[in-house]
Amino acid sequence: MNFKTSFLYFFKPIFWGLIIALFIIYGSKLGVNLTHLSGDDNVSSYSIAVKKASPAVVNIYSQQYIDSSIDNKQHLQPTGLGSGIIIDSKGYVLTNFHVISSADQILIALQDGRFFTASVVGSDIVTDLAVLKISGANLPVIPQNTNYQPQVGDIVLAIGNPYNLGQTVTQGIISATGRNGMSSSGRQDFLQTDAAINEGNSGGALINSRGELVGINTSEFYSNNQNSSSGISFAIPYQLSQRIMKSLIMHGRVIRGSLGIIAENLDPLIARLWGLKAQNSIVITKVHKGGPAALAGVKENDILLKIDAIGFDTLIAAMDKVAEIKPGTKANLTLLRKGKKIEVEVEIGELSNIQTMPEN
Amino acid sequence: MLLRKLSCSIIFTCYLLLFTINSMAALPDMLNGQRMPSLAPLVDRASPAVVNIAISGNFSTQTTFTPFADPDNEAQIYSQPFVGIGSGVIIDNQNGYIITNFHVIENATEIKITLKSGLEFTAQVIGHDKHSDLALLQIKTDKALTQIEFANSDDIRVGDFVLAIGNPFGLGQTVTSGIISALGRSGLNLGNLENFIQTDAAINEGNSGGALIDLKGQLVGINSAIFGSDNGNIGIGFAIPANMVKNIAQQLRQYGQVRRGILGIKGQELTPELADAFALDSPHGAFIKQVTPYSAAEKAGLKAGDVIISIGGSTIKTFAELRAKIGSLRAGTRVELGVIQNGKAVILVATLQLSQLNKTKAHLLHPFLAGAILADADENTGVKVTSVAKDSLAQHYGLQQGDLIIGINRRRINNLSELAQMIKTAPEILVLNIQRDKRGLYLILN
Repeated sequence: MNFKTSFLYFFKPIFWGLIIALFIIYGSKLGVNLTHLSGDDNVSSYSIAVKKASPAVVNIYSQQYIDSSIDNKQHLQPTGLGSGIIIDSKGYVLTNFHVISSADQILIALQDGRFFTASVVGSDIVTDLAVLKISGANLPVIPQNTNYQPQVGDIVLAIGNPYNLGQTVTQGIISATGRNGMSSSGRQDFLQTDAAINEGNSGGALINSRGELVGINTSEFYSNNQNSSSGISFAIPYQLSQRIMKSLIMHGRVIRGSLGIIAENLDPLIARLWGLKAQNSIVITKVHKGGPAALAGVKENDILLKIDAIGFDTLIAAMDKVAEIKPGTKANLTLLRKGKKIEVEVEIGELSNIQTMPEN
Repeated sequence: MLLRKLSCSIIFTCYLLLFTINSMAALPDMLNGQRMPSLAPLVDRASPAVVNIAISGNFSTQTTFTPFADPDNEAQIYSQPFVGIGSGVIIDNQNGYIITNFHVIENATEIKITLKSGLEFTAQVIGHDKHSDLALLQIKTDKALTQIEFANSDDIRVGDFVLAIGNPFGLGQTVTSGIISALGRSGLNLGNLENFIQTDAAINEGNSGGALIDLKGQLVGINSAIFGSDNGNIGIGFAIPANMVKNIAQQLRQYGQVRRGILGIKGQELTPELADAFALDSPHGAFIKQVTPYSAAEKAGLKAGDVIISIGGSTIKTFAELRAKIGSLRAGTRVELGVIQNGKAVILVATLQLSQLNKTKAHLLHPFLAGAILADADENTGVKVTSVAKDSLAQHYGLQQGDLIIGINRRRINNLSELAQMIKTAPEILVLNIQRDKRGLYLILN
């Protein structure tokens, strides 16, 4: 082995090793740069997202007939302030129910200066959503992406009209995520954000850094503290509101299935005794007289294991499942009663809109 | 042989990779190969230019009417000592110029500046402008100062990241982050010239006069006010745009005061209805209702019904914005105005005129005042006696040159037209409340 061959013997692998290492290091860096260029993470400004979404966020002024002390007649007076989102070019506007709940007339102002009178298509107290309709040409529509799954830590922008100052954009992150089920439950299950949301922001849009609708902002109108922004605000998830909206447009109300029972998770000790998991076993604590479950012979202390032969992970998931069954259709419940599994067929009833306590 | 070569090269690759990954892990701003977002580098750059301001002063109140008080008795001026805090921004490191809000240093007798480094100075007021709520201070030192760079505030957009640097609640320098929430905010009645940048970066008491900076570390605005409660920030804060600050600061520096230029128009916001009626494409701009004769506007060829859509090449969206932008320019400034006139876009050039203070010969108001010449005092603080003729009736009644008339017949007046109004309704006897050498006195003219 002369000098040349021994040099090549060492040099070649070192050379190729270097090339491969360089490629791996800088190739990965190149990849990072490319994702930055794609515009998902435009760090210095969210103005592109704002430009896409903000024209579709409208100001809502609700007016009410109020007795006048001067001439004993009723006069329209502005009583409420909020925001709304134009969801499609037909003029459907999504907002919070509480923004328009007491309105006799609803006025909608677009950012381009146009004014419309809106009609109420339908509203849902449980989720605090309402759908309005305006008729106009060339309406701006908010970008939507049904595949977007909000995650804790995602950057979001809240667009609305706080205190009627005019359109305002505030920024924060998603602090907690919500669920998309239709059953009635508390607000704590909604999206939580630390973007500043104030009175007048209600019904406005929460968007992501691509300008896509993430949720409908809901500021507590009747909160004790008038200035409620303290880094904890709530929004109704887009996917839930989309389903509510579809139902409101089709039926004018949200139709939720109901069993007419009150239930809770099985006590873990008892669950173990039965060889069950507490999480996905539900004990029925109350059966409403004359309700769908009562008619089918469901009794108190029955343990619900499956609905239509499918189990569930949580009580809330079970509630969501029942809520989504069309009233009038039949469902099979798998129950555990006195140690024996039994099957019961129930005709699902409709949950009345007034009930806001968690029950099924 | 080939196998051995290959294995050797793989080993070498792995070694190199390990080495570089280790070095990457040592970098604090990288995580999983991605840059960790931190604003620390630009905060390091900009924050030395932001100073804490502490003031002390006397807030003097004067009894407006004490019928039996001796005019020479000084006891009727009550003064209350007070202290205050705020922030300021160094805009010229050579001369030690610091810009802050006027309301931060109002009534101050002593202004203490503390730099981020801890150095303390006493500052002089070079000039102030109540209408824009700005004041220019100066500190004298041989020490090296850091100055802030100005951003072009006409280029910023809603959604841009910003940082507020200031001294909230006197805690010491604090940096908060947010975005630009809105532009061109007006109608808040905070001052006369309103063209605020709105932000959700937390601004609190003590942040006033501090910096709002962009991600280049350049000054976008001077934080001035918040909307909301006594509890502090609710995500709605306001800043004076940097371009306006620049113009006002330059005037204060050069002349110690703002000699505001006026265009000579009256107008209003352009509504969609007006835009329709005048067949305009866009509902943005400043609508002119009336043009004052002989004004800069008339000379430039502006007419009632015109819509101003830009000034110096930057777009005007509202009348308030035009007002604020003109109001920050000095008399004599030439401005290029983009105007829609008779449906056509034209460019007109106007030379702003000095806003004329009202001046009148006093005998026109009332015969007792004959011989005196009166003028509006600065900033609506009363009526100044600019001269008194010898052996005139006004002199006989004791009126002197330099007197400031602040009330008549127990009623406060702010300017000449209010004085004229009051004289019309009370012609029999005039009791003038006058400020002379910072003392109040009453002159009875009958």
